[in-house]
Amino acid sequence: MNNLYRNSRLTTGLLIALSILALPTFVVAEGRTVRDQLGRVVSIPLTPQRIIALAPSITEIIFALDQAHRLKGVTQYSDYPEAASILPKVGSYVHLDVEKIVALQPDLCIAVKDGNPLTVIHRLESLDIPVYAVDPRNLAAVMDTVTEIGAVLGSQDRAEEIVADMRRRIETVRTTVAKARRIPGVFFQIGIAPIVAVGTHTFIHELIVMAGGRNLTEGPLPYPRLSKEQVIGLAPDVFIITSMERGGVFDKVKAEWKRWPDMPAVKNDRIVLADSNLLDRASPRLVNGLELLARLIHPELFEAESKRGTP
Amino acid sequence: MNSKTPVVIKRILIINSLLALLLLGTMFLGLSMGSTGGSMGDVWRSLKGEEGGGAMLNDIIWKIRFPRVILAALVGAALSVGGLVFQALLRNPLAEPYILGISGGAAIGAISGILMGLAPFPGVSLSAFCGSTATLVLILILSSGQAVMVKDALLLSGVMVNAFCTAVIMFLISMTQDSRLHTIMFWLMGDLSSVDLHQAGILALMLAPCFLVIFRLSNTMNLLLLGSDLAQTMGINVKVVILTLLVVTSFMVSATVSHCGLIGFVGLVIPHLLRLIFGPDHRILLPACILGGGAYMVICDLLARVLPAQGEMSAGVITAMIGAPLFIILLKRSGR
Repeated sequence: MNNLYRNSRLTTGLLIALSILALPTFVVAEGRTVRDQLGRVVSIPLTPQRIIALAPSITEIIFALDQAHRLKGVTQYSDYPEAASILPKVGSYVHLDVEKIVALQPDLCIAVKDGNPLTVIHRLESLDIPVYAVDPRNLAAVMDTVTEIGAVLGSQDRAEEIVADMRRRIETVRTTVAKARRIPGVFFQIGIAPIVAVGTHTFIHELIVMAGGRNLTEGPLPYPRLSKEQVIGLAPDVFIITSMERGGVFDKVKAEWKRWPDMPAVKNDRIVLADSNLLDRASPRLVNGLELLARLIHPELFEAESKRGTP
Repeated sequence: MNSKTPVVIKRILIINSLLALLLLGTMFLGLSMGSTGGSMGDVWRSLKGEEGGGAMLNDIIWKIRFPRVILAALVGAALSVGGLVFQALLRNPLAEPYILGISGGAAIGAISGILMGLAPFPGVSLSAFCGSTATLVLILILSSGQAVMVKDALLLSGVMVNAFCTAVIMFLISMTQDSRLHTIMFWLMGDLSSVDLHQAGILALMLAPCFLVIFRLSNTMNLLLLGSDLAQTMGINVKVVILTLLVVTSFMVSATVSHCGLIGFVGLVIPHLLRLIFGPDHRILLPACILGGGAYMVICDLLARVLPAQGEMSAGVITAMIGAPLFIILLKRSGR
C-alpha cells in the first residue's frame, strides 16, 4: 500500500517536473514583467515585500536604498551595514540553501550573474519564486544596478540620489588625480599563499586605473597567481595588500616583503593595507574604495585634507 | 540448480521486502528533516494528501527534499551495485568504483565537459562516460600482462590511476580561474543539493536498464566466482559477460558521478555488509544492494544536511569517513 502510494507520488512528481519544463515562464497575478540585466523577461510583483538578496552586494544596495524593512533574507558574509548580519541567512552566495529560501516565502529574489549558480536560479524559478538577476561588472554597471533595483523596489528617487552622489565623488577623484605628475605602478595582492593579484576584468583594476595608478598585473586572467620572483621583477611603486585574510596577517606579509629593500615600494615605505570589502563588492561603497585607493596611490595630492590614508 | 530456484525467489522476496521497508523508512526520515527543521507528523499528513503544514512546507518537502532523497537513493544503489560487480569480476574484496579510479576518470570527463560549456545532459554525462571508460581501459591494459584479470595488479594499478586522476582534476582546476571553480570544488566532494526531480528522473532512466542487465547476469556472476574455467565449461561466454558487466557498470558509475560528483566507498561498505548478513548469492545481493545502498546513501546525505550548523557539507565527506576505515580493516584482514 505504502509502496504503491510512493510509486504514484513518484510518477506525479515526474509529470509535474516535465510540465514545469514545458512552461518556462509562469505568469504571476498582479505583477508586471521586466527585463533583467541578463536580458531575461521576469514577472515580478508590483511592490515586492519579501525580498531575499542572494549576495552581500545586493544586501548593501537594498540597505542604501532604505528598503531594508522589505529584506527578509541575506547570504553569509552579508556584514554591512551591521543590521544586515542579524537577518536570516540562506547559505553563501555560491552555495545557496534552497530550502531556507523557500521557507522564507520570498516574493522576489535578487541574484548576481557572477557567483550565484544558474542551476539554483532555475531551481527557484521552477518553485514559482521570481528571480531578478543583475550583472554589475564595473563601476558604471554598479550605478545602473542601483538605478534598476531602485526601479524594481519603487524607490527611484533614493536611487537617483545615490547615483548622483557616486558620480560627484568619482568626478572629484578624477580631477584630483589628473594633477598627478606620474602614474605609479601598483601591485595589488589579494591572496597571501599562493600570491594572487588582480587582472584587467576586476573592480580593483578599474579602481586602480581611476585612482591614477597602473595595475602591474593586468591581463586576461581575473585573478592571476604569481611567484615571489615575478612580484619582485614587477618593481611596484605602491604595494597594496587586502584585508581578505584577517587576523594580523598584514604585518607578517609586510615584514616578508621588506626583505627586498630594492623594491621601490619598500624603499619609499609604500606597503599599505586596504579593506577588501570596499573594493570587491558591487555596492555604492565602491566609491569609498576608489577614494581610499586614490589616497593610497597619490597621498601627496590628498595631503591638504586630513591624512587618513591607512586605517 | 533449477530445483532450488523457487527457494531463491522466496528468499529474494523476503529479504528485499525487508530492505524496501528500511529504504522507505530512511526516505521518510530524509523527507522529515532539513535546514529549516521539520516534523515527521507534517510529512505523514502530507503523504496522506492532507495540506496540514501549508503550501510552503509542501513545496519544501516535495520539490526540494523529495528530489534529493530520490537522487541519494539512486546514487547509493548505483555505487553499491558498482562495488558488488567489481568485487565479483575482479574477485577482489577491495574493488570499488572510487578506489579503482573509475569515478575519478568520470570526474575528469565531467569537469572537462563543464569547462567546455556542454549541457548537463547529455553533454556532460557523455564526457563523463568517456572518461570512465578510458580509465577502465587503462586499468585493464595496465593489469593484463598475463591472464584476463590479475587481482592484486589490478587493484594496485587502480590506485595509481586514481592518484593520476586526482592530479589531472587538480590540474584542470588550477588552469581555469573562473567563477565556476567553487561550484566544481564543492561538486568534487559529492554534492546532492542542486538537483531537481527532472534530473533525478533522467538518472533513474539511465540506471534502471543497467540494474536489469546486471540482475540478468547475477547468476552468471555466481558461476564466475567459482572460476572462469568452470564457468566456461558450463557454457558461459566469459569474455562477453565480463565485458558487458564492465561497460554497463562504468556507464552507471559515470552517470552517477556526472550528477553528484565523487562519492567514495559506498560500493565497499554496502556489498560487504550485505554479504556478511545474506551470504554470497548475487541473485539476492544485487537487489539487496540497490535497496540497502539507497537507504545508506539517504542516511549519509541526511547527516550531511543536518550536522553542520550553517550550510551543509558534502555527502562524500560522510561516506569517506565511514568507508575509509572499513577499507583499512578489510585490507588488514585480507592480508592474513
